[in-house]
Amino acid sequence: MVRGWRWGERAWTKEGAWRGGVALAALGMLALLVLLGRRHGFGAPEYLQFLLDGLRGGSIYALVALGFVLVYRVTGVINFAQGAFVMLGPMLTASFYERGWPPTPGLRLALAALLSIGIVAGIGVAVERWALYPARRASPLTRIIITVGVYLILEGAALLLWGPYAKVIPSFTTLSLADPTLRFGALRIKAQSLWIWGALGVSLLALALFFGRTTLGKAMRACAVNRLAAQLMGIRVDAMSTLAFGLAAALGAMAGIVLGPATRPTYEMGLELGLKGFVAAIMGGLVSFPGAVLGGLLLGALENLWAGVTVAGFKDLFAFIILILVLLIHPQGFAGSEAEVERA
Amino acid sequence: MGRLRIGSVVALVAVLLAACAAPTPTPAPPAATPTVAPAAPPTPTPAPKVGSPYKIGFIASITGPGASLGIPERNVAQMVQEQLKAQGGIVGPDGVRHEVQILIFDDESKNDTAASVARRLIEQEGVVVLVAGTLSGPSLAMVPIATEAKVPMISMASARAIIEDPETKKMREWIFKPVPENLHSAQMQADYLKAVGITKVCHLYENTAYGQDTFASAQAVFPQAGIEIVYGDAFERTATEFPQVEKVKASGCQAVVIGSIPPASALVNVAVRDALPEIRIVHGHGSCSPDLVKNAGAAAEGTVMPCGKILVADQLPDTDPVKQLNLDFVKAYQDFTKGEPISTFAGHAYDALQWAIAALKTLPDGLSLAEQRAKVREALEGLRNLPGTHGIFNLSPDDHLGFNYTDFVMVVVKDGKFQLLPRDQWK
Amino acid sequence: MRSPWVGFVIGVPLILAIGLLEAWRPFDLSLSTLTGGFLTLDTMIRAGLFTIVLVGLNLLMGYAGQISLGQAAFYGMGAFFSAILTVRARALGIPPGLAEGWAWPWLVMFSGAFLVGLLAYGIGRPILRLRGHYLAMATLGLGVVVYILLRENLGLPHLNLTGGFDGLQGIPRLRLGSLTLWPAWRYYFLVWLFAFGAIALGLNVVRSRVGRALRAIHGSEMAAESVGVEVPHYKARIFALSAGMAALAGSLYAHFQTTVIPATFGFGPSLELVVMSAVGGMASIWGAPFGALTVLLVQEVLRTQLRRLIPGALGELELIAFGAILVLIMLFMPEGLIVWGLRRLRGRRMARGTIPAGR
Repeated sequence: MVRGWRWGERAWTKEGAWRGGVALAALGMLALLVLLGRRHGFGAPEYLQFLLDGLRGGSIYALVALGFVLVYRVTGVINFAQGAFVMLGPMLTASFYERGWPPTPGLRLALAALLSIGIVAGIGVAVERWALYPARRASPLTRIIITVGVYLILEGAALLLWGPYAKVIPSFTTLSLADPTLRFGALRIKAQSLWIWGALGVSLLALALFFGRTTLGKAMRACAVNRLAAQLMGIRVDAMSTLAFGLAAALGAMAGIVLGPATRPTYEMGLELGLKGFVAAIMGGLVSFPGAVLGGLLLGALENLWAGVTVAGFKDLFAFIILILVLLIHPQGFAGSEAEVERA
Repeated sequence: MGRLRIGSVVALVAVLLAACAAPTPTPAPPAATPTVAPAAPPTPTPAPKVGSPYKIGFIASITGPGASLGIPERNVAQMVQEQLKAQGGIVGPDGVRHEVQILIFDDESKNDTAASVARRLIEQEGVVVLVAGTLSGPSLAMVPIATEAKVPMISMASARAIIEDPETKKMREWIFKPVPENLHSAQMQADYLKAVGITKVCHLYENTAYGQDTFASAQAVFPQAGIEIVYGDAFERTATEFPQVEKVKASGCQAVVIGSIPPASALVNVAVRDALPEIRIVHGHGSCSPDLVKNAGAAAEGTVMPCGKILVADQLPDTDPVKQLNLDFVKAYQDFTKGEPISTFAGHAYDALQWAIAALKTLPDGLSLAEQRAKVREALEGLRNLPGTHGIFNLSPDDHLGFNYTDFVMVVVKDGKFQLLPRDQWK
Repeated sequence: MRSPWVGFVIGVPLILAIGLLEAWRPFDLSLSTLTGGFLTLDTMIRAGLFTIVLVGLNLLMGYAGQISLGQAAFYGMGAFFSAILTVRARALGIPPGLAEGWAWPWLVMFSGAFLVGLLAYGIGRPILRLRGHYLAMATLGLGVVVYILLRENLGLPHLNLTGGFDGLQGIPRLRLGSLTLWPAWRYYFLVWLFAFGAIALGLNVVRSRVGRALRAIHGSEMAAESVGVEVPHYKARIFALSAGMAALAGSLYAHFQTTVIPATFGFGPSLELVVMSAVGGMASIWGAPFGALTVLLVQEVLRTQLRRLIPGALGELELIAFGAILVLIMLFMPEGLIVWGLRRLRGRRMARGTIPAGR
C-alpha cells in the first residue's frame, strides 16, 4: 500500500505535520550547506563546480539505477548483483584493451567495450536462467539473497582473474591516460564527463524507443504491469525476465565502462556503485525510469555539494539521510502517478 | 526433479566432507620432539640430527579491501616457503635441523576472521610464531589473543598501537613489527619540505585508518619543523570527484601532501594537478608503488615521496648495506611471481618472515612449545643490525620496530619511473 | 516433533557437553580435535552470539514480516556502548571506584540493551509505516548512518569516543564477583545461557498474544487493525525487542573480542545476518542457532579445507564458493534448514501411509 501525499486533505493531519517537519529538516540541511560553504569563501563558481562534478557521478548512479528499475519492473526482484555487472564491464574492457589488437587504439577500445558489454549481458542472462528462474516461485527475499550470492561469486571470480590491482581504461577522447579538461571561465569540465552524460542520454533515448515503439519493449512493459495478464495474452514472460536481466547487465556494464577512465576500476568497485544506484532507484520508486535518473542526478549533486562544504567523511552519511527523508516524506519518490502497487 | 536437486546438494556436501575426511590438517606429527638417539659410539660422520618442524602462522588479507597489500605478502610467504624447502629447513645452534612450515591463511580483511584464524593457528596448529596482519584493524584484534596465549606475533601493518599500548606508551611484550610508520614518513616529509623552504601545506588523506593516521602523524610532526597545515581534509577511496581541490585552491598552501594508497592517491594527484598545475605534490610512503604512475600517468611527474629502499634498490650507492639484499629479493620475487611488480608490502612480509626465521634459528632442540614461543620472543628482542628490505633493524625490549626514519629515501617520479633523490638534490 | 521445547531437550545437553569437554580436555581432546578441525570453540561462541541477534531478527522478519537490513547497527551500538563506558570511563568522568567494579560492565550491558531498544522504538514508529522494499531501504540507510557515525567518532574527533576507524581496544573481561568469565569455555557457557534464554523468550513471544498479533500483522495489516490490533505499536515494540536483543549480543561480543571496530557493523554484516536468518529459517525461532551455525561452519570449512582440494589459490575461491553455496541453499531449501529438515522427517512418516495433517 503506497501512501500518497496530497496537499489538501492531509496537510493538517498528524501525518501531514510529520511530513511537514521532515520537509523542513530537508530545507534546513540545504541552508546549512550554503552556510558552511560561506565559511570557506565559496561563491557561485565553486558551487557550480561542485554541482557539475556531482552530476557526473550522479549520471553513473542514474545508469546503474536504470538497470535496477528494469529488472524490478519485469521480475519483481531487487538485483544485488547489478553492482557486479557495473564492475565487470570496465574490467573486461581493460583486459581486452591490454591485449593490444587491433593496433588502432580507438578501434581497439570500441571493440573491447562492445565485446565486454556483450559478455556481461550474456552473464546476466546466465544468472537469470540458472540462479533466478529455478527460484521464480520463491519469496522475493529468497530471490534477493540469491542475487547476493551471485554478487559474491562474480566478485570472487574478478579477484581470481585480475587480482586486487586497479586497471586502467584510457580517456575516450585522447585514448591516453590524460583526460583533457575543458575550461569555461572558472569552471572545469573533464572531457570524460561529456561521454558520461552522452551515454546517459543515449541510454534513456534507447530505452524510451525500445519500450515505446518496439513490440518486444511493449511486451516487457506488459509483463511489468501485470504478469498474469501478459501471460494470458501469449507473451512469454519467462523470456521477458531473461531479456530484462540481459539488458540491465548491459546497462550496468556500460555505466562502468564509461566511468572507467574517470576512476581506476578494481574488483570491488561494484559494491558501492550498486548501493548508490539502488538508492537512486528507490528515489524513483523502483518503478520509474525518469524518476531513477532524477534520483541519481540529485543524489550525486547533493552528495558532492555536501562533501565540498564539510568534512568528506560524512559524504555517504548525507546520501543515506536523503534516502531516509525521501522514504519518509514520499516513498514513491519521483514516480508520481506511475507508482505501482508495491510487490512486498 | 526434486530427487535430482536433493542429489546434487548431497553430492556437494559429500564432496566437502570428503575434503575434510582426514583428521586435523597437520601433515606432520605434533610438537613432541623425537631426537635421534643421543648416546651412540663416535662414528666418523655423525648422522644429521633432525628435530621437529617449526610452524609459522601466516595470516594476510588475501581478500577484501586489504587484498592489494595482502596478495603480495602471500606471494612472499609462498616464495619463502619454497626457499626453506630447498634449503631443507633451518639449523639450530646445536646443529639440529628443523623443517619450517609456513601455514598461510586469509583473514578477509575482517577483525573477527583474523581473531578466529589466529586462535586456530595457536591452539590447533601449535604455531611457534605468528606473522600476521596486513591491515591495522585485524592486527589489533589479534594482539590480545597472541598476548594471552603468549605467542610472539610479528605484524605487517603500520599502526603504532599494534606494538605500543596507547595508554601506557609501553611496548607490548609479545608483539613486533618491521613496518615503518606514518610518523617516520611524516618526519621525512617534514625534512624535505623544510629543506625546500615550504611553510604552508594542505594535507589530503584517504578516509581510512591508514589515511587518518597519516594526517595525525603530520599534525604531530610538521609544526616542529615550522610547517603549518593550513587545510586538511579526507576523501573516500572510491570517490570520483574531489571537491576538496577547491578548498586547496582557496587556502593558499604551497604544497599538497597526500596520505593515501593507489589508486585513490593517483586520482587525487590527477585532480590536484588539474586544478593547480604548478603546485608541489608530496605523497606518503603508501604511494611507493608502480601503481601510482600507472594510474596517474603524467600527473605524477615530479611528485616526491619517502620510500623504503626496496623501491629503488638498483639506484642505491654500492656502499648501502641493504642494496644487495634488496636486489636479490626483487629478483627472487619476480622470478617466483613471473614478473609481478615489486611492492613495499612484499618487503614488509619478507622482513617479518626473516625476523621469525632469525629467531627460530636460535632455538635449541628439545624445548616444549611454550618454551619455544618464549625463546622466540626473547630472540626477537635481541635482533641487532639485521638488514631488511627497508633498512637496518635494531630491536630491543623498548623498541619492537627498530627502524630509524632516516632509512627512508626520498624518491621523485621522473619519466614514469621512480628515481632516488638524495638530500643534496632537494630543492 | 510437535513441541519446539524438544529443541531444548536436544540442544542444552549438547551445548553442555561441548562446554564440559573444552573445560576439562580429557586426554587432551577438544571440540576441534574431535571434529577434525571442523568446529572450534571460537565458532560456537560466535554462533551463540549470532543466535541472540537472530532470534530477534526472526521475530521481526519471519513473524511480523518487517524486513531489516540494518540489524548490525544495533549489534554495533550495543558493542560500542559497552566499549565506551568501560574503556573510556575515565575520560567520561565516571569514578574509578564504580567503573572498575565487577558489576559495572553488567550494568552497562543491560542498560545499553534497554536504551537501544528505546531508541529503536522511537525510530520504529515512523519508519515502520513503510512497507516491503521501502522499509528495507530505510533500515539499510539507518544501518549505514550508524556505521558512519561510529567510524567518524560521532563527529567529535577531539573526544575520541569511538576511536575512529581503529575502534576501541582493551575492553575488560566480564566478571561475576571474584570469578572471571574467562578462559573461553567459561565465556562459552555464559553466551549460550543467554542464547537459550533468547530462544525461550522468542518461543514465548510467538505463543503469546503478542505473537498472534504479529502473525496477524504479517498476514494483513489492515485486517489486523480491523480486529483491534494496534499495528504501529506492535510493530515498533517488536522492532525494539529485536534491537535490544541485538544490542545485548553486541555487548557480549565486545567483552569476548576485547576489540571493537566500526567495520564489523556495516552493511555487509547486516546482510550476513539476513542471510543467516534465511538459511536457518526466517519464520522459525530454532532457525536462529541453525542458521548461525551453518553459515559460520560453511565459512570455516571453506577457509580451512578448500586449500586441500585446490592448493595455491586461497581467499578468492572461498569467496566464490561461499556465494555458490548461498545460491544453492536458497534454490533448494528456500524456507531454511529447519523447515526443510522437518519436512524431510515428516515426509518419511507420510510415506509410510499415515494421513498427512494439514500444515
